Formats: sequence, structure tokens, C-alpha cells
Amino acid sequence: MNKKFVSVMMVVMTAAFTSVNAQNKTPTAEELLAKVDNNEVYKTAEYDGELIIDHNNRKFVKTMKAWVRDNSDSFIEFLNPEDKGTKYLKKGGRLYVYSPDNEGVMLISGHMLKESMMGSDMSYEDAVNNETLASRYNAVVGGTEKWRERDAWVLDLSAKKKTESYPKRKLWIDKENGDLLHYELYALSGAKLKEYNLIKAEVINGKRFPVEVEMKDLLRKNSKTTMKMNNVILDKPIPDAVFSQRNLER
Amino acid sequence: MSTQQKMGGTGMLVTIAYRNIWRNLRRTMFCFAAVGIAVFFIIVYWSMIGGVQKGIRDLVQIFDLGHVRVVSEQYDADSEFMPVQYPVADGKNWKEMAEETKNIPGVRAVFPRIATRATLQESTIKHAVLWGLNVEDEIKENTFNMTDRNSGLVEGRYPARGTNECAVGRVFAENSGLKIGDRIPLKTVSAQFSDKMWSPEITGIFNFDYLKIDERFIIVDFERLQKLLVMGEGTQQLIVYADEEKLSKPIADELQKAFGEGSVVSEWRDNYWAAVMESITPIYTTVFMVFLIVASLLIINTVVMIIHERIKEIGMMGCLGMTRREIVTVFFFESLFLAAFGALIGVTIGGTLVGIGSNYPIRLGDLVGSTFSEMPLANAIFFNFNPMKLVYAWLLGVAVASIFTLIPSLKSAFVEPVEALRR
Repeated sequence: MNKKFVSVMMVVMTAAFTSVNAQNKTPTAEELLAKVDNNEVYKTAEYDGELIIDHNNRKFVKTMKAWVRDNSDSFIEFLNPEDKGTKYLKKGGRLYVYSPDNEGVMLISGHMLKESMMGSDMSYEDAVNNETLASRYNAVVGGTEKWRERDAWVLDLSAKKKTESYPKRKLWIDKENGDLLHYELYALSGAKLKEYNLIKAEVINGKRFPVEVEMKDLLRKNSKTTMKMNNVILDKPIPDAVFSQRNLER
Repeated sequence: MSTQQKMGGTGMLVTIAYRNIWRNLRRTMFCFAAVGIAVFFIIVYWSMIGGVQKGIRDLVQIFDLGHVRVVSEQYDADSEFMPVQYPVADGKNWKEMAEETKNIPGVRAVFPRIATRATLQESTIKHAVLWGLNVEDEIKENTFNMTDRNSGLVEGRYPARGTNECAVGRVFAENSGLKIGDRIPLKTVSAQFSDKMWSPEITGIFNFDYLKIDERFIIVDFERLQKLLVMGEGTQQLIVYADEEKLSKPIADELQKAFGEGSVVSEWRDNYWAAVMESITPIYTTVFMVFLIVASLLIINTVVMIIHERIKEIGMMGCLGMTRREIVTVFFFESLFLAAFGALIGVTIGGTLVGIGSNYPIRLGDLVGSTFSEMPLANAIFFNFNPMKLVYAWLLGVAVASIFTLIPSLKSAFVEPVEALRR
């Protein structure tokens, strides 16, 4: 009896120790970055979005319908009355916009990419980048920290290319589920430019998906943008026609 | 000397003083030249500063604040970003506000305006300012070109109401290579923080001779911009013109009462540069005084030398019965004549130059380029010719020189006749 009890206890303790050890074991920076990149990869996504811009104590809410494919193609149509008819198409690393006032499609390129997207704290550039973080940044594990009461790995990234919009990034990755809890974007000078916070993530189709996030452009006074994604459908086939210029002008 | 003049009277003393100044012509001419040059430069600089002040005042009144401007408090706080999210009186119909404003005594005209930043898509110029005006109405009120004092249109026409048309500055057109008929694809942000893509067609090219506007502004119809930016019937700015400039303050006070808290009512004098130029008046007045004091030193020197040269003559005058006051009067008037004639020469030459020059622009912008781009300074400034300023400059010249020569003149009073005759 005693022998059996000791054996069971040893198994339980070994399991517990292994589990704790696995959680505390420092993964490599590459592993963490791969985890972050992997979390953002899905075949297709379709959702109803809400863009809430808080600026100088005023709130602007925009609603949209979005379709995303392979992280490279996306189509967004704004539905709120002020922006009704405004559509964005990201395809092949290029961003096109249709605005009813313009009576035509316009390519957002060059210096325009630095502009704020729909008055939010995100720039077009933030939206248009397709490549994984691992292919754009060198990473170093900066230790562990608590982020809003969650244990997180801290990852310091430095850009591989000089042309990168944000030469430095700092990521807080949830130790338990790999969620990207928080990140900060820095200029070459070290000045912090933007902050991202994960507000809420849900498991959809067995994958953790951020359904509510917050972005702050620190160069804008009293400004914050919250992005909510509702009715998320992952990995449902989306016709090619959705990601076409014809759809943009329709 | 007139026989009617009383012997020993002031008239006779003045006559003696007048005759004395011609006793040494060369020295007198030097004194005239010194005072004349000082007064000449005072007039020229004064007119030039006056021209710059007037130029700034005109620019502020035409392009920025009108005589009085009403904006929201939030707009005023962030005005450098030209936000359209904070319309006047929370987006109240601008026509209603204009009608109410016109009821205030002294108000001549009220215009709505919107200015907002735009990012250009293809142009070599990346950023511009979309300026929404009721162009036709504003042209009747304002002469936009700062040199020729006309509408400033050099080619084509201004945008028609409610259309996707625009007019660009001459410098903008040159730098971007755009011409009439071309479209300018651009992006701006609406009052609801929405991206607005727009491609207005260029129908006109203007030249206001004001680099800031000619280089960066795209004039569009107010109503079209109002609609594009989803501003309803509201306006970003309400520009008020008074019957007379001096009515700006009472009108501003009335409007502040009418619009209440949450609105900022500014008169043109509140503009930073207009205020700076007003505040430097004591500085340049001091500089002018220094000019005159330096010129007066020559007269002081002359008077001291005269007294020294005529020491026996002063003794003789004393012996013949002239009082000390009469002797001082002679020397004082002598220096007064030197100052008065010198100043008159300066005023005549300076006044003539400024009078002629006031009809011809000084192309300051061509000389300094965009060095003072933040300052509301037109490309061309004019001398500000004002006959009253000529009179004032003459009086200033005479007064300063007279005061400074009074002390050496008094020295003649303390010459003892017997002592003087003995030398």
C-alpha cells in the first residue's frame, strides 16, 4: 500500500515538476517569435469589425465587414453612415482604397503609407505589412515580466533592414498560451511611437484569436483606437472575387 | 534786418542767429548733412517698418483672422493641426450664425472658412492645405493679391460652387508640374475621422504674392469641402469683417458674449506677428532717437566751437548790454536753425523717395526666400507713405537736436564779458 502510494506520489510530483519546469524553461527567442507569427497565421478569416477611436475625449465608432486570406489579402468595407462606401483592398503587398467622393480607386503608396488609417492610431503601413516578424527582426529574450497579472516573456526585436518602419520592438508574450499581450514600437532614436494591448482573445477553431485589441499612437495627444472583431469565422473558403479591384469599385 | 523789428527783441535775436549760421558755410553744411541724413534714414526705415506692419496686418486680416474670427475652443488649442472635428458652436448652421453676426453694428461681412491638411498621392509636393472658401463672395470683399491688389487669379477661374474643382498657387503649380485640367489625387480626414480620397480638377492658378499660400494651399469651394468632410451645415471658422478696423475690438467683445464659453473669438491684433510688430514700436523709436542723438553730437560740437571762436564777440555783446538770456537765445536759435534746415532737407529727400517708392513693391520674398516662412510676410512690401509721419520725423529731428544743443548754448551765458574781451 505504502509502496503504491509512494509510486503514485512520485508520478504526480514528477508530472507537476515537469509542468512547472516546462513553463519556467526559457524558450529561445526564435521559438517565441515563431509562436507569435504562427498565432497570426490562418487560411481565411471573416468578421464584423468595430473601430472605436477615442480622441480628445470624443469617440468615433466605425463599423465594417472584413475578409482576410493567407495574411496577404484582405478586403474591408465600412458600413457606418459617415464612411459608407469606403472600401480597402490589400493585395500583393499593395493597398487600394475606394472612396465614393473620389469616384475611383486610389493606390495608397509611398509617403501616404505613413498616414493614419481612417483617423485611427494605426497607419496604413501597420496594415499593409505581410511578412512575418521572424523574417523582419532579430530577437533576443529580454526576461520575464508580469503584464496585467499575466506571466509573460519579454522579447526585444531589432530590425534586420534599415528600411523597417519601426527599427525596434518590444513584445510581451503570454507564457501560458502564447498570446501577444502587449507590444511597443520604437523609433531608431529609442523614442516610443506606439503601444498595442490585447484586451480579449478567444479560442476559435482551436486557435487563439485576438477579438479585441487596443492601439495607441503616442505622437497623438489623448488618442486611443480599439478594434473589436465580432462573429469571427476562420478558415472558411472565400471566393477570389472578394479580393479584386472590381469588388472595390462595385 | 527789418527796421520794424524792435532792437533787442526776440525777432532781432532770431535774425542774428539766422545770419550767423551762414558765416561758416562749410560747417553749416556738415551740420545740415548730419541731421538730414539721420532724418532721411528715420523716414526710410519708418516707412519700411510701416510697410512691413501694414503687410502683416493685411495678410492677417485677409488670410487668417479677418477683423474678427470665431472658432471653437478645441480648434484653437490644436489649430496648428487644422482639425475639422471641432466646428464653431458644435456644428451650428453657419448661415444662421452669419445672419446673427451681421446684426451686430459695424459688421460688414461674414464668411465661413475651412482649412485642413491633405496628403497628395502623386505630386512631388507631398502635403498641402485644402482651403474651403466662398470664393466669389470673398473676392468682392478682399484683394487677395498682395502686390497688384486684385483677385490674384492669373489663369483659368476659381472653383465653381459645389464642384470637384480647385485652384492652386503659381508656386504650387510650378513645383508639382500640374496645370489646368489636371487632377490632384489627395487624402484628407473628415470631421468623423474618416479617410476621404478626392481628386479635384484644377480650374485656376492664382498668385497672391504670399509664398505660404502660393506654395501650399489648394482653394476649393467651401460647400464642397464642407460636404466632403462631413461637417453638416457647420464651419470650422467664422470670419468677420468690420466697417472699420477700429471696430474689431467691440465686435469681438459682442461675439464673445453671443457665442459664450467653448468658443474663442480673436481679433486681428491677437495674431502673434501682428502683436510682435506692434510691440517693437518702442524699440525702433529708440533706435531712431540714437540716430538723432549721434547727429546732434555734430551740432553740439559746432556750437561749442562757435562759442569758443566767438568768445570775444560774446564779450562784446555783453558789454553792449545784451543780457545772458539774449546771448543764449542767439546760440540756441543758431543750433535750432541748423537742426531745422538739416531735418527739412532729410524730410524732403526721404519723403520724395518714400513717396515715389510707395508705388513700387520691394520684392522682399525674392531676397529672403522662405527664410521667414512662418512669418506672415508677403513677397512684396511697399513703403508706407504718410505725410503726418514726415512732419513727425521733422519735429523729432528738431526737438532732439534742440534739446541736446541747449546745454552748450547755455555755456555762452556764463562767459564773463571782461574776461572774454581780454582773450
